[in-house]
Amino acid sequence: MKTLDQLVDKALSRRTFLAGAGAVAASTVVAGCSDTNSTPPPANNGLYTDADVLNFALNLEYLEAQFYLYAATGAGLASSDTSAPSGYTGKFTEGTLTVGSAAQVAGLTTAEQEIVNEIAYEEMTHVKFLRTALGTAAVPMPDIDLSFFGPLAVAAGITTAATGAGSFNPFSSFDYFLVGAFIFEAVGVTAYSGAAPLISAAGVTAGFLTAAAGILAVEAYHAGYVRTSLTGRAIAAGSAGYPYLPAANLVEALRATLTVGNSAAPSTTGSVETTLVVPTSTSTPSAIVAASPTSAVGFSRTVNQVHHIVYGSPTVGVAKGGFFPSGTNSIFATTTA
Amino acid sequence: MATQETQLLDDIIVSSRRRLLSLGAASLAGLVLASSTRSAKAAVAYTDDDILNFALNLEYLEANFYYLAAFGCTIDKPNAAAMNAGAPAAGIPITGSVGTAGTVTGGSQVPFSTIQVGSYAVETAIEEGKHVLTLQAALGSVAVAQPAINLAGGTGGSFGELAQAAGITSDQSFSPYAADADFLIGAYVFEDVGVTAYHGAASLLTGTTTTLPVAAGILGVEAYHAGLVRTTLNYLDPTGSLGLVGYTTKVSALRATLSNQALLGATPAASAYDNQPDDYGLAPATFTLPTGSVTGTRIVDADPTDVVAFARSTTQVLNIVTGGGAIKNGAVVSPATGIFFPAGLNAGANGFK
Repeated sequence: MKTLDQLVDKALSRRTFLAGAGAVAASTVVAGCSDTNSTPPPANNGLYTDADVLNFALNLEYLEAQFYLYAATGAGLASSDTSAPSGYTGKFTEGTLTVGSAAQVAGLTTAEQEIVNEIAYEEMTHVKFLRTALGTAAVPMPDIDLSFFGPLAVAAGITTAATGAGSFNPFSSFDYFLVGAFIFEAVGVTAYSGAAPLISAAGVTAGFLTAAAGILAVEAYHAGYVRTSLTGRAIAAGSAGYPYLPAANLVEALRATLTVGNSAAPSTTGSVETTLVVPTSTSTPSAIVAASPTSAVGFSRTVNQVHHIVYGSPTVGVAKGGFFPSGTNSIFATTTA
Repeated sequence: MATQETQLLDDIIVSSRRRLLSLGAASLAGLVLASSTRSAKAAVAYTDDDILNFALNLEYLEANFYYLAAFGCTIDKPNAAAMNAGAPAAGIPITGSVGTAGTVTGGSQVPFSTIQVGSYAVETAIEEGKHVLTLQAALGSVAVAQPAINLAGGTGGSFGELAQAAGITSDQSFSPYAADADFLIGAYVFEDVGVTAYHGAASLLTGTTTTLPVAAGILGVEAYHAGLVRTTLNYLDPTGSLGLVGYTTKVSALRATLSNQALLGATPAASAYDNQPDDYGLAPATFTLPTGSVTGTRIVDADPTDVVAFARSTTQVLNIVTGGGAIKNGAVVSPATGIFFPAGLNAGANGFK
C-alpha cells in the first residue's frame, strides 16, 4: 500500500501559503482576525504535505488520549494504537509513556466518571481515526511524559512542589482533573484552527479539511465542557471559594508567556487566551468561550506556538521537552519562531 | 440528488483532481468522499459571499434569540441591560444591501433563577451579536439584511410548533422563555445546528486564508456554546429524572429526521463519516475502551464511530430551521419558509437551496 505522501501529488499538496499569505492578510476585510495570529509555519522551505499536518495533530491526540484514558480507566492506549503501522517507512520510532502519577481519577461520582469516559473514548477515537486516514504514513506515538503536570504547575505558579506532597496531580480529584484537562483542550481547539488553513486544495477535495474542522468542533465541545464545569463549580462554591478556577487562569497566563512574542515577527496584540471569570449575578456575562473579544471568532495557534506550550519552553530552536521529552514525531518538532 | 457541496466538489474533482481521488481511494477509505455515487446536478454554485450570507442569516436568528432571552430586546434596539453587558449602544445593524430588514416576532426576557444559566445567556448573546457584526464587516456592501424571524413560544410560535413536532409537548404550549431549563432547551435547538452548518460550509470556502479561518473560528465558538448548553443540561439533570435528557433526545431526533429528509435519498456530503442519524441527544451511551465497555455521557454531538462532528449542507440546515420547509413533494424548494424564518432567508441572486 502506498503512503499518503506518495498518494497525494506533491505538487498539489505543497502550499503556496507563504507566498500569498501576506498579501491576503493585508487585504482582508474581516474584523478581529489580526489577533488570531495564524501565521503559517516556515518549515522545510515552506514545503510540507497534508500528511505532515495530520501527523502533527496525531501527536497531540496521542497525548490527549493517554491522559484521558488513564484518568478514566487507569490504563492507556492499546499498543496497536501507538506502534508504527505496518509498511511505515518514515524516520520516527515508537516511544514510551512515562506514567508518573497517572491513574484513574480518585473519588469520581457516577456522573463525573461518565464524563471522563466519554472524553477518553473520543480522544482515543481521534487517534484511531487519524491513523486510519494516514494509513502507512501515520507516525507512531512519540515519548510522552504524563509526569510533566507537576513541573508545569510550578511554572504556572499554582504550587511550589514539582513532585510529592503539595504537587499538582490531575488524577487526584475531579477538580484537579478539570485543571489538567484545561491545559489541553484550548490548545487542541486552537491547534486545529491554525492547522485547517494549511491543508492543500487537494486535501480539501480529499476530505481532510472537513475532518480537521470536525475534530476542531469536538475539541471545542470538550473545552466548553471543561470551562463550563470550572465556572459552574466556582459559582456554586460561592464565598467558600474555588481555587481550581484561579489555577486554570494561571495555566492560561503561562501559555501566554510561552507563546507571545516568539514568532519571527513578534505579535504585540496580546495572547490568545480568555480569562475565566466567576459571574456574581444572572445579568453579568460568564467567559466560557475562548475567542477574540472584538469579533467573537475563535483563536488559532501556529504549530510553533503549540510546540512551545507542550514543550513548556518559550525558546526558539527547542526540539523537545515537557510532555514530549524526545520531541514530537513531526517535521514541525523544532520551534522555528 | 446532489447537495451543493457534492456538486462543487464534483466540479473540482472532474476539472483538475480526478487522479488524486482515484489514487487515494484505497488507503484513504475513511476520508475520501464518495462523489462518484452522485449524478444529479445542483442549480447553484455558491460563492464565499453566499456562504457567509447564509451564515449571517443564522447568526441574526441566534443573536436575536439570546438578546431576547438575556435582555428582553432585539439586537438593533439594545436596552440598558444589554448595554450594561457590552452590547453596542448604537445597536447592531439589521439592514443590508440585499433584502428588506424583517421584524422579530415573539420572545421575552427569561426570569433566570441561577447565575450559571443567566450569565451563560448574557455571554452568548454578546458573542452571537459580535458574530453578526463580524460577518457584516467581512461581507461589506453585499451583506444581507435581517430576514423576518419568528422566535415566539406558545401556540403558533416557532418554539411551540417545534416542541410539538419533536414530541416534547402534546400541544404548542412550550416556551423557551419560561425558566432556566426551558431556555436551555431552546438554546439546544440552535447550537448544534450552528456547528453542523459552519462545518458543512468549511470545505466550500475558497478563501483559504480569508474566509476559512473566520468560519473555522466561528465553528469553534458555536461548538463551545453547544458544549456549554449540553454540559449545563447534564449538570441540571444528571440521571435524566427531570426529563431534560429526554427532551434533548427528541430535539436531536427531529433534527436528524429533517436533515435526512433533505438528502432525498442521497448519501450525505461527507458520507464517509456523516452517517445517519446525524444528531444525538444527551442520553448516555456505551463506549468501548481498551479496558472494556463503559457508560459515558454525550456532551459531544458527533458521529460515534469516528468522533468527527457532523456536517450539513445548506439544504439540510434549511430544512431544520424551517421545520421541513425546504422539501416539498420530494423536491428541494426555494425559498424555504417556515418556523423560525416565516418569509425565508434573505439571499443574493443565487438564492439558497
